Amino acid sequence: MEASPQSISYVQKDRLLLILVMGLVGFGLIMIYSASGIIALKNYGDSFYFLKKQMIWTVIGTAAMLLISKVDIDIWKRLPLPLMGISYLLLLLILIPGVGSEINHARRWFRFGPLSFQPSEIAKLSVIIYLSAYLVKKDEKIRDFFDGFLPPLILTGVMFLLIIAEPDLGTAVVIGIGSAAMLFIGGARMGHILGLFVSFLPVALALVLNIGYRRNRITAFLNPWEYSSTTGYQIVQSFLSFGNGGILGTGIGEGRQKLFFLPEAHTDFIFAVVGEELGFLGSVSVTLLFTFFLWRCFRIIRRHWGSFEGYLSAGISIFIGAQILMNLCVVTGLFPTKGIALPFLSFGGTSLLTNMIMVGILYAISGRSPVKYPLEGHRYYSKKRTFRKKSGAGNLELPLGGDF
Amino acid sequence: MGLFNREIFNRSKWRRFNILVIFVIAGFLAVIARLAHLQLFKGEALAMKAERQHQQVIDVEGERGIIYDRAMREIAVNLDMPSLYGTPSSIEDPWKVAKKISHEMDIDSSLLAKRLDNDRHFVWIRRRVPPEDVKKIGDMNLKGIGFIPETRRFYPKKELIGHLLGFTDIDNHGLEGLERHYEKLLRGKKGTILLESDARHRPVLTSTLFDPLKGNNLRLTIDEVIQYIMEKELAAAVDKHHASDGVGIVMNPYTGEILAMAVSPRFNPNTPGNYTSEQWRNRAVTDVYEPGSTFKLVVASGVLEEGLISPNQIVHDGRESMMYGGAVIHDPHPTNQPMTFKEVIAHSSNVGTAKIGITLGKDRLYKYAKTFGFGEKTGIDLPGEVNGIVRNPATWSGRSLITISIGQEIGITPLQLITAASAIANGGWLVKPHIVSEITDSSGNIKGIKPELVRRVISASTSRKMVEIFKEVVGPNGTGKLAAVDGFSTAGKTGTAQKIDPETGKYSRSRFISSFVGFVPAESPEIAILVIVDEPKGIAWGGSVAAPVFKRVAEQTLLYMHVEPTEREQLKIMAEN
Repeated sequence: MEASPQSISYVQKDRLLLILVMGLVGFGLIMIYSASGIIALKNYGDSFYFLKKQMIWTVIGTAAMLLISKVDIDIWKRLPLPLMGISYLLLLLILIPGVGSEINHARRWFRFGPLSFQPSEIAKLSVIIYLSAYLVKKDEKIRDFFDGFLPPLILTGVMFLLIIAEPDLGTAVVIGIGSAAMLFIGGARMGHILGLFVSFLPVALALVLNIGYRRNRITAFLNPWEYSSTTGYQIVQSFLSFGNGGILGTGIGEGRQKLFFLPEAHTDFIFAVVGEELGFLGSVSVTLLFTFFLWRCFRIIRRHWGSFEGYLSAGISIFIGAQILMNLCVVTGLFPTKGIALPFLSFGGTSLLTNMIMVGILYAISGRSPVKYPLEGHRYYSKKRTFRKKSGAGNLELPLGGDF
Repeated sequence: MGLFNREIFNRSKWRRFNILVIFVIAGFLAVIARLAHLQLFKGEALAMKAERQHQQVIDVEGERGIIYDRAMREIAVNLDMPSLYGTPSSIEDPWKVAKKISHEMDIDSSLLAKRLDNDRHFVWIRRRVPPEDVKKIGDMNLKGIGFIPETRRFYPKKELIGHLLGFTDIDNHGLEGLERHYEKLLRGKKGTILLESDARHRPVLTSTLFDPLKGNNLRLTIDEVIQYIMEKELAAAVDKHHASDGVGIVMNPYTGEILAMAVSPRFNPNTPGNYTSEQWRNRAVTDVYEPGSTFKLVVASGVLEEGLISPNQIVHDGRESMMYGGAVIHDPHPTNQPMTFKEVIAHSSNVGTAKIGITLGKDRLYKYAKTFGFGEKTGIDLPGEVNGIVRNPATWSGRSLITISIGQEIGITPLQLITAASAIANGGWLVKPHIVSEITDSSGNIKGIKPELVRRVISASTSRKMVEIFKEVVGPNGTGKLAAVDGFSTAGKTGTAQKIDPETGKYSRSRFISSFVGFVPAESPEIAILVIVDEPKGIAWGGSVAAPVFKRVAEQTLLYMHVEPTEREQLKIMAEN
């Protein structure tokens, strides 16, 4: 049942969400400078090399976020297939030698002068929008295999394989897990989802065991200290960073691990630099800031549950949340090493831009009053939240009314 | 949709979402628990491991810049003196290693063993080891022992140019002289190096975060040969007259380039500890003295520039003494004949000069002293330069006008005097003296230092008249005739100043400062030279003590510089032969 346009009303947008994100990005700039300044001076003769780039992307990202937050949410409902098409095109183009720029045997970027652009990041966004629109459209038909479950499986599956081919396992894993989670909350049959996992297991095993550096990452993960001078080097250096930070940390800019020892200090392992320079108090504070961010997301999702906005905000939160959690787990050695950046904090332009666009969409959704409360009657609402309903809110329709 | 209940479906989807949320919460809790584990419970152990690792990061000094003379001869260089270090964590038997090392070099075996007997990653054993010890210890090929390249400043010319160069401390930081003045430029940039062990546990320098950068090289205006000539002749004069010390400067009067600057007695900058700080001082710029008659150039230039007196005008009746301001001044060699202005200066008559000074007057004398650069720093690129003492006329006593006219009651530096004399030599311009002519950075870019003019002091015509008068000084009847350089017309002025006796506080009759300042060839000078001999015993006249030094230095320097003698003079020499 579609809401009539007249019934859409607007409420105060979630400013706190925006403040939180800008705070995290600003903090990220400080940490990026601290982590990269000396290396940048050595390699590029300019200690602000990475900071400048990230600042340009911050400006672009902030502008994009504010712009997107003004856009009517319903537009995204009409765009999923064009967006998927563009993503596919870019992901195919980048694999052509000479078009995509190759760094460390990986073709992940388009270069535009000083800035580089990573299409797999845009792919994430299109998958989220596509799945949200699809889940709303199919509704309970998602439980059907051929008419419901299979089409998104194929579309995201091929995309997953294209990103693996770059190779960019980290982003592929995020898209895989994120898509599966969206199908899961979208009501797909558990049998289908379990079947997907079971059939993917041999593929995953083959991938992990065949490609040397990934296997090494697994063995290093299982016993980092034994491989501390080879494959476990990075994670051991991350441990030493956290340990060196202790409770209070060495102070911003005073960390020594980033000098020779901790690789990728300003990108994937920036949280280890936070841990060293700001100590346990700093690393826990940052972790809590991320959970606080996710809680703001949760509030938005709950209000829009069951609608396109609900799926969209849930998808965005799942993708960003998965990246945050996976990065934190990798850096603290709870998860094998993968190339996953920490949203808002790590150096990386396209990733920052995409994440800020996603926050822009969330911000727009937060300003939209739900046309109905789909969870009305759910114990969550009936027991705890009924007192919030005002007698004047008589325009609220009965939950899911009309269909039966 | 008969059997399908949408409400139940929607709620089940919400339940599923909440399951995800629970997973995420669990994940974050796991991360926080893990952070507590790493940072709180295992924090100290990990920090110790990190600390040991960080000991491997070593700062290495960049090499100090080289100092060259005018002709690119090296006068301050660096010797390779590697520093010996150990990596105790890879040494199995510290006592044995310590014994082996102490066998080869002077170091306490048991103290060293204690230093090596721990699990640190890095300790210094000895900084800056002489090359022969480096070889002996290197040949032993010890596990966990290695050298890091370092350097030590060395002055291959020993005492020569010592006062100008100054010296550095053990860490190669400039403490005196040019080393101090140009510390920022000369000093190399620190590099950072990571030290690791090879497969056989011998330490190796692995990666470099920053290469140490060499400091800037300096090229001086000093010429080693001219400096040598000046130092040699000055020392000979100080020795001959049993003087306490001496100062000598050779300068290009047009550009202010210092060709030589000597202080006697000399000191060896390689071993500054063997001398007192008194002996390190570059008296040419740090010490103030009363110049005596050489200072008459100020009053003489003043009256000429003001047009008060012409060179051949009779200004003095030749009497031996005069009273002024309650004091009497004397001429040591009175002529008792009327004297022209020119003759007054040529014979350095104090009474005559006093009369000229009275004609010029207090304020104008003060003005010309200041214009010639007295009482202010010349701005030379050396540390410790002083202003000198030129008192304001308001504080002068009754006799000050005449005593200042003849160069007493005033404090100047030797460098100020030669710069003032250069203004007469070069047509009236005060130049800024300088020592460094080129600065070359570590990538080879050369920055040249251009000569600087400070201001016009006197007109070109006044300067020509002064040159004529100064030539008379060196002429057959002048006080400075011993300064005359064969084959060249020479101009200059003698000076014999009385020093203040520190016991009585009055001018002493036995302590003098003898000096001569001049330039040659007089009409188009190549060099200006100042010679000061402090407290010569016996005959103390500037014309007898300092003027001959001027002559010998000028002769040798002009020969070295391939300056052709002026023709007329040559003919005269040939006729005499």
